[in-house]
Amino acid sequence: MMKYTLFVGCNIPARVQQYELAARSVANRLGIELVENQEYKCCGYPMQNSDNKTFLMMAARNLALAEKEGLDMMVLCKCCFGSLKKAAHQIKQDAALQKEVNTFLAKEGLSYSGKTAIKHFLSILFHDVGIKKIKETISSPFTDLNIATHYGCHALRPSDVTQFDNPVNPSLFDDLVKVTGAKSVEWSLQLECCGAPLMGVNDKLSMDLAGKKLADCKAANADYICVGCPYCQMQFDRIQNLMLSERGQKQNNEIPSIVYPQLLGLAMGISEEALGLKMNMLDITTLESYIQTETEN
Amino acid sequence: MLYTFMVYIALSIFGIGLIYSLSNWFRLTVGSNADGTTTGNRISAAFKGIASILNKEKLTILGKVFVQDILLQKHIKKQDRLRWIMHMLIFTAFMFLLVFHAFDKIIKTPIFNRFYLSMNLWLVLAGLMVLTGLGVALYRRYILKVSRLKTSGMDLYTILIIAAIILSGMLMEIIKLGSYDSYQTIWWLHIFLSLLALALLPFSKMFHMFTTPLSLLANAVMDENSDPANIATKQMMELDACTHCDTCSKHCSVAVAYDTLGNDNILPSERMTFLKEYVANKNISTKKLAAIQQGIYLCTNCDRCTVVCPAGINLRELWFSAREALIQKKLPVDLMLTPFSYFRGLNHQRIGQKQYDIPLATVKNTLTSGDDFSQATLDAPIVLDHGDNEFQNALGISERTESFNYCFSCENCSTVCPVVINYADSQQSLDLLPHQIIRSVALGLKDMATGSKMLWNCLTCYQCQEHCPQGVKVTDIFNKLKLISIEDHK
Repeated sequence: MMKYTLFVGCNIPARVQQYELAARSVANRLGIELVENQEYKCCGYPMQNSDNKTFLMMAARNLALAEKEGLDMMVLCKCCFGSLKKAAHQIKQDAALQKEVNTFLAKEGLSYSGKTAIKHFLSILFHDVGIKKIKETISSPFTDLNIATHYGCHALRPSDVTQFDNPVNPSLFDDLVKVTGAKSVEWSLQLECCGAPLMGVNDKLSMDLAGKKLADCKAANADYICVGCPYCQMQFDRIQNLMLSERGQKQNNEIPSIVYPQLLGLAMGISEEALGLKMNMLDITTLESYIQTETEN
Repeated sequence: MLYTFMVYIALSIFGIGLIYSLSNWFRLTVGSNADGTTTGNRISAAFKGIASILNKEKLTILGKVFVQDILLQKHIKKQDRLRWIMHMLIFTAFMFLLVFHAFDKIIKTPIFNRFYLSMNLWLVLAGLMVLTGLGVALYRRYILKVSRLKTSGMDLYTILIIAAIILSGMLMEIIKLGSYDSYQTIWWLHIFLSLLALALLPFSKMFHMFTTPLSLLANAVMDENSDPANIATKQMMELDACTHCDTCSKHCSVAVAYDTLGNDNILPSERMTFLKEYVANKNISTKKLAAIQQGIYLCTNCDRCTVVCPAGINLRELWFSAREALIQKKLPVDLMLTPFSYFRGLNHQRIGQKQYDIPLATVKNTLTSGDDFSQATLDAPIVLDHGDNEFQNALGISERTESFNYCFSCENCSTVCPVVINYADSQQSLDLLPHQIIRSVALGLKDMATGSKMLWNCLTCYQCQEHCPQGVKVTDIFNKLKLISIEDHK
């Protein structure tokens, strides 16, 4: 049985609970055991531009807690993932820094040597579980469903640090979508940023970038955009909803966003309550109409 | 005679304190959500609010909260069993003593009257329970040293005054059997301490015996859509409901930043202490303002404090109100240009447009005024004799950020940058394009490299860094430049 320590970060429990709910339901179906740790705190991501030391200590403390458990980390958020990876990378390269970090951690009786592997949820599904095993659990595959996969910057790049997938031509997420019976459409802005890092800093720019992406996947005939990160999800769900009202865009022009385990969970026949479909701001319950009915016969 | 006089004095001070606290609830505000409403408006809004909950559905909720959270304090038990035991010992035994001993003239219980001797035993037992509870409190604070648990003068006063009342009372019961004279002295001491605690109650942490249940009840039936006047009043009351128990700080997502930066205001419990003083006098020193701005903005809005607060205080909304009020002061808040602003952006509709824009503009103007980026300046020949080596060295080597030396200005970074692509007049809108920033770094032009709008509009999406044929760590360099810029403007 696969066992990981689950790192949910700050945004998911407060604003994107459906992601954790669906991820847990899917993990349960795949025989993945998730261990809780209430001691985890912020990954350090928002500190990167204002205080590097604080960023490192925040990240390192979480890594040390995971190391203490002796388990690999399953990270749901791509910004948490990128941040933890970056900190681990910096510490690994610099012996003096590692010593400084450990002096700091010692106050709480912790230490960090770099043993814990930091893995994103999607990587675990693709590499550790494998497409073949996932395929066996698909009981109600989709048909005629077009999905636009949004990879998320901080998982893909910088690729030498994150080592998530090929940074210019990734395929992991598309394969995970295809296994549900849905089609993964090609769209030119697929690897671009969702705009979330500038929300609250330069809202117009942030919304422009999100808007461009949404228009692009719409043009590629996608029915939904699919993500694996709470920031991207908030951007394409709550912020898109704001954009629809504030920017006077037509309501029927929307393209709802779905977190990947919701998509996979539906194809596995998991109930919409256990996937938190109703917790999304833009309606995604319509997804169920794409499920093949003939398989039930 | 003297006894009666003392009782009346104590009751008067208690009454004045109570009126003073209550008037503060309706007079003062944490944020600006009740701007334009008078105390009268707020009192009538409160009555309307209370009237609106007099229905079966709301009263059922309140009844449930009263039993589970106020009487049984289940939420404390869920988090920390030791703290629950501590609080229950003090709470139940103290209430018992209050009802059957302090008010024994008023509350006559035929059951106990018949068994006077056993009643004394009950008193001693209750006293021991309170003392055990206080012992646990001291143990937690001084021996167990619960991480980030801070003990204020008020915390210590509370423990000591209760201990003194109980000890003097128990001593009295023992001495009563022997000498009458020393019994008299200790009786007066016991009465004096009890009346002192009563008089100071509205000004002390013990006021929470009224305010915390009120906060739990109010938050069970109110949310952010309630009347703003009532929210303002509730938030003032919540400041009095906080017992400085530090549960919030224990669970705070950014508590590690307190460990590295040493700013008390990062811890939510200490922010509450600050706010209690601040609401009464909003003129604070620049130094204090800078500290509280950092403390209150360095928050991921993860909601954990609100979820765990044993007093049921809606800390999320309290921070929201206080944060908006505190960042309106003219001091620039550098954290506003980081992802900590996401939550504010997400909720921008709840903030007036002007109020939303001004603090952002203040910090942007401060951090981007390093150099003149007019076309004439950009076209002018650059004098290279002031290349700043120290600045280049400050970019550090641990992440190979010195890689800027390998840049040959192919402009790939600027070509793939989604921010650059978004602007038709990118040069004017952003001052410098990514490759120009890297060249400025290579030339040691610090002001130029750290002062452009481009830097603070960087998404950190790493497209530039990924696509650089020379392996220049463009985004990492930008991050370092931001740190240098913030440091220089401190």
